[in-house]
Amino acid sequence: MKLIKLLLSPIVFSIGFLTPLLAQLILATRTELSTPVAYGTALTISIAFGIIAQHRGSWLWVKDHE
Amino acid sequence: MSNATVNLNSMSESELDVLERKIAGKYMHKVPWGAVVWGIGNLIAWLALWPLVLMDIIPLWLGFILATLNVSLSYLPSHEAQHNIIAGKGQPLRWLNELVGHLSTIPLVLPYRVLRHTHYEHHSHTNDPQLDPDFNIHADSGWHFLWKSIMNRQPESGRSEAYPETLKRTGNEHIILDAVIYQTVYLTIMFTLAWSGYAIEAALLWWVPKQIAITYIEYYLSWAPHHPSKEQGRYADTRGFKSRLGNLLSMGMQYHIIHHLYPKIPLALTPAAYRALKPILQRRNCHLGEL
Repeated sequence: MKLIKLLLSPIVFSIGFLTPLLAQLILATRTELSTPVAYGTALTISIAFGIIAQHRGSWLWVKDHE
Repeated sequence: MSNATVNLNSMSESELDVLERKIAGKYMHKVPWGAVVWGIGNLIAWLALWPLVLMDIIPLWLGFILATLNVSLSYLPSHEAQHNIIAGKGQPLRWLNELVGHLSTIPLVLPYRVLRHTHYEHHSHTNDPQLDPDFNIHADSGWHFLWKSIMNRQPESGRSEAYPETLKRTGNEHIILDAVIYQTVYLTIMFTLAWSGYAIEAALLWWVPKQIAITYIEYYLSWAPHHPSKEQGRYADTRGFKSRLGNLLSMGMQYHIIHHLYPKIPLALTPAAYRALKPILQRRNCHLGEL
């Protein structure tokens, strides 16, 4: 059960999907960047969002009724 | 005042009930073959987009538009199956009912059994703040709906707990496993595609279309027909409304009041049933807007 909760957590989504998505978007628009730089930047941004989502319960920081 | 209206006004409640059921009965017990073809065909079309885009046969932007259409259209055939409209238990076409129910919502990553059980609770407790699993979609205006729709998708929103809580309350906790399996498979596919270099394709063929489709479906199926969601009761909890987008683009939901009164009437027949039942609904002071 813990393994499933981990798989469905925002942190795992940020690493598993948002990081490669952001990296591939960066590489598609900024072709001069190297792949490691693009993935490193994407990982930093994605993880930041993932941590916010994990601890605040919202990807956007704001929550309903606030 | 027409003769028909005068006659209706002179009828007792029980006579009106009998007449209403008699009229509604004419539109029931018809297999909606259109929904069957729609449900299975739509899934095949969406699945076909993947090789077409990944092999560069069609451009990604076109794939995105088509995928958004496909995912948006994937709920209603399952909705027909949830109400056993294609075939009820024990009927020869029961297998087809269940097949359409299970297959059509795959693009939405929503399991049929979860949808069916929670949707029945929505019908039984429409607009009840405690018991209607779709109550947290309700909002004061269209813009407020959009804001709530975004908030409802956050990890700790009340919406994400609404269906599991309903399943627990009704003794169907075991069905939560279906949702866990669907989400696990979905995320595994998305992660695999993304780390194989197809993240943008996965986002534009599934992830983003799913977000758009959920907003669209919730707006027309849950928010608009039940707005302002303050009343409960058979003839008060759902309204008829005139959509600016017309009946087709609002997915037939202008006539959702008919569905709540007679869930066995196929979607395609709700406009005709509405026209036939309208004088009775007016007599019952239903909210029909300009419809």
